[in-house]
Amino acid sequence: MSRAWLAILAAVVLLPVFVRHAIATEIWIFAIFGLGLNLLMGYTGLLSFGQATFFGSAAYVAGYLLKYAGLGVIPALVIGVIVGAASAAAVGYLCVQRSGLYFIMLTFALNQMFYFTAYQWTTVTGGEDGMPGVPRPAILGVDIHGPLAYYVAVAALFLLSLAVMKRIVESPLGKILQAVRDNEPRAEALGYDVRRMKLLAFVVAGAFSGLAGVLYAMLFGIVPLEAIGFVFSGNVVFATLIGGSGSLYGPVIGSFVFIWLSESVSTVWQRWPLLLGVAFVVVVLFFRGGVVEAWARLWTWRGAARAPATARPDAAP
Amino acid sequence: MPLLRTERLTKAFGALTAVNAVTLEVRAGSLHSVIGPNGAGKTTFFNLLTGQLAPTAGRIVFDGHDIAGAPPHEVAHLGIARSFQRTSIFPALSIFDNVWLAAFARQPSWRGLAWRRADRYPELSDKAVAALRDVGLDAKAGRPAREISHGEQRQLELAIALAATPRLLLLDEPAAGLSPDETQRMVALVRQLKGRYTIVLIEHKIDVVMTISDRISVMHFGSVIAEGTPAEIQRNADVRRAYLGGVVSA
Repeated sequence: MSRAWLAILAAVVLLPVFVRHAIATEIWIFAIFGLGLNLLMGYTGLLSFGQATFFGSAAYVAGYLLKYAGLGVIPALVIGVIVGAASAAAVGYLCVQRSGLYFIMLTFALNQMFYFTAYQWTTVTGGEDGMPGVPRPAILGVDIHGPLAYYVAVAALFLLSLAVMKRIVESPLGKILQAVRDNEPRAEALGYDVRRMKLLAFVVAGAFSGLAGVLYAMLFGIVPLEAIGFVFSGNVVFATLIGGSGSLYGPVIGSFVFIWLSESVSTVWQRWPLLLGVAFVVVVLFFRGGVVEAWARLWTWRGAARAPATARPDAAP
Repeated sequence: MPLLRTERLTKAFGALTAVNAVTLEVRAGSLHSVIGPNGAGKTTFFNLLTGQLAPTAGRIVFDGHDIAGAPPHEVAHLGIARSFQRTSIFPALSIFDNVWLAAFARQPSWRGLAWRRADRYPELSDKAVAALRDVGLDAKAGRPAREISHGEQRQLELAIALAATPRLLLLDEPAAGLSPDETQRMVALVRQLKGRYTIVLIEHKIDVVMTISDRISVMHFGSVIAEGTPAEIQRNADVRRAYLGGVVSA
């Protein structure tokens, strides 16, 4: 556990040295987004294709208040978390009434509803042009206008989010959600109200999405329409799968791979999504547990290769 | 007063009446078996008791509450736990977590649900370990449930039901799919539980039932055709015709 934390701390410190600050910041924002989704997808077994609903709603509401009401950063973040959780409660309540394919389609359809609302409601959201001019006020008197200062603030919030999510997955709720994923009727027979548990997972995931949404709006100073679109919902699913949806740290790694590829490689090679496609196919076919599993397998393979041949004759190539 | 009473409990699936006006009383502390040929409606009867299915008609009174039609999670909170005929466990979780989850569900309050670390509930850990010890799986507590043998999974199935500290334990063919040796061990296990719990046992193996039951109800085509002590059931001519056939006369 502490090894993983050391690696993440090292990444937090070193990332801005090697990567443009805005990209580094985006990586951790996307990781917060992914942490929330992973509670649904990895732990509860609910594939949501509508996470941008909560991300975007929070970004619009908090962005609007930052811009027109002169809201401070901390109240804006709190409101973002609340909007994320509340929109997830409403959407989740409808979605958990169904399971399997119907559940997925509901998350998607409701996402589309939110998207078109934002698209049409141009007086508030700016429609296709987005909502520009989201300010980034000082936080407790500390100026976070500079890219590095903002990076530090976001990285700190990411570490906090990770610690909170770790607590949640190690709590009884974490076990209950995994039980729901593994065997829903049995969880119900033990005395767990499965729908309510799924809804709880939804609300927590929505809160994380909301936090990420507000940070995203402040990063670019705009809420683009895409922030509430289904492509964004798909991206976070993609990133989490590539990183490894079975593990707490999977979405963090996935976010790094996804954002780094999309932001760095896209400047060199226009057809970069091709790489993502290949990565996705490789993950689905060979490493269902994503990068995390690939890494674990590499270690066992290296360990086996190093061990004397007499000890494990069957492990020889 | 019986702990559980059903009154003309009926479940129809379209034209098929799987459970037909079953009236039955289970006294506290007893072991009451329900036997009958395949398709007699025994498992459907259990599914009605635990809320997996809602009855078409009739009442289920458990400890003074009418629970007919209540959802499974509410029935579980009243203290009815069951094991399944077809093993139903959490394969990706550890054996310990499988039983721990059953113990946690029965907590009167779920304090710390999303925040307290799951390993900080010492009384639940004790309960989980005790349930595993009862079935002889305590040495394998850390293993993922999917990695153990079928026989051990059947034992785990039982341990999950025990960890819920049930007031009424419903066992649906605990020996299903076990080898003769494993069956012997499972029967010994159920015998140990007798007296500690109120048990309703569905069983296919007639010799097992005859030796450990206090009372036996015989189901045939959805109806109870006989009820009594093992000796009475053995003498009953209807039962012989419908079910026991040559097994008893041999």
